[in-house]
Amino acid sequence: MTAESTAMPLQAERMAEMLFAATQELFTSMLGTEVRLVAAPEEEPHDPFDGILSLIGFTGKVIGNGEIICTAGTACDLSSRFLMAEFQHVDEQVLDAVGEITNMIVGGFKNRLEAHVGRLQMSIPTVVHGKNISARNLKADVAVTLLCAYADGEIQLKLGLAASRD
Amino acid sequence: MKEPPNLLIVDDSTAIRKILIRVLNQTNLALGEVLEAGDGKEALNILEGRHISLVLSDINMPNMDGIELLRTLRASPQWHDLPVVLITTEGGQARVQEAVELGATSYVRKPFSADQLRDKLAALLSK
Repeated sequence: MTAESTAMPLQAERMAEMLFAATQELFTSMLGTEVRLVAAPEEEPHDPFDGILSLIGFTGKVIGNGEIICTAGTACDLSSRFLMAEFQHVDEQVLDAVGEITNMIVGGFKNRLEAHVGRLQMSIPTVVHGKNISARNLKADVAVTLLCAYADGEIQLKLGLAASRD
Repeated sequence: MKEPPNLLIVDDSTAIRKILIRVLNQTNLALGEVLEAGDGKEALNILEGRHISLVLSDINMPNMDGIELLRTLRASPQWHDLPVVLITTEGGQARVQEAVELGATSYVRKPFSADQLRDKLAALLSK
């Protein structure tokens, strides 16, 4: 796990715990497998990657976004578990399933965060599939990266959040 | 003989609609048709032409969200008493209270287990 924070109502470590709790809940209830934290790189990697990037934005007293990053193979495996059907290639159904998985994980985190910061609004998910994907969170007060592993793959979870200036 | 109930699933995610249909198929309840809509507006169009016994609806959707759909149904003499179950990631107590005050019959928070949802739907449909 990596985490940085300034000027936010909660420490990044607490937000990382809430994000992981939401991830565990989704994996246990809807994907039929356990998930565990594995050590994320100390330095935030900014190299372009191939695969899936799924993100959802927040607005309210806290603004920013939550992301899931995984390989195409992991996206197919997660979708197979989620929909109980076999997926070998990334298609519309896989992108939709990954978007919904992101919605539930980030939504679960948002529900926990709302207990501390009040009501937040969430955008609909955006899912990107491609090669040489490069993403940056600009001006985040809190940056959290979790690397989570389950029986057949790994996913990276990211939060980039800031206190609203309004 | 009583007609088996038709159900309407309202969610912009085809993945969630598939999961709900699978869970419904796993109940031992005698069901009629299970119809699908991608948002509240589509749901109202379907409701205009079909007799629906239960609506399962997401909250966050484009065009017309689940709360607006619920408001519209509760304001209509035709659908005032139609059972509506909201299924959503919105899990805050204030949001639950808002949905109940607007007339939601029940509320299921995502993520849900198939058993949990099956039990809830079976209880509602057997009434």
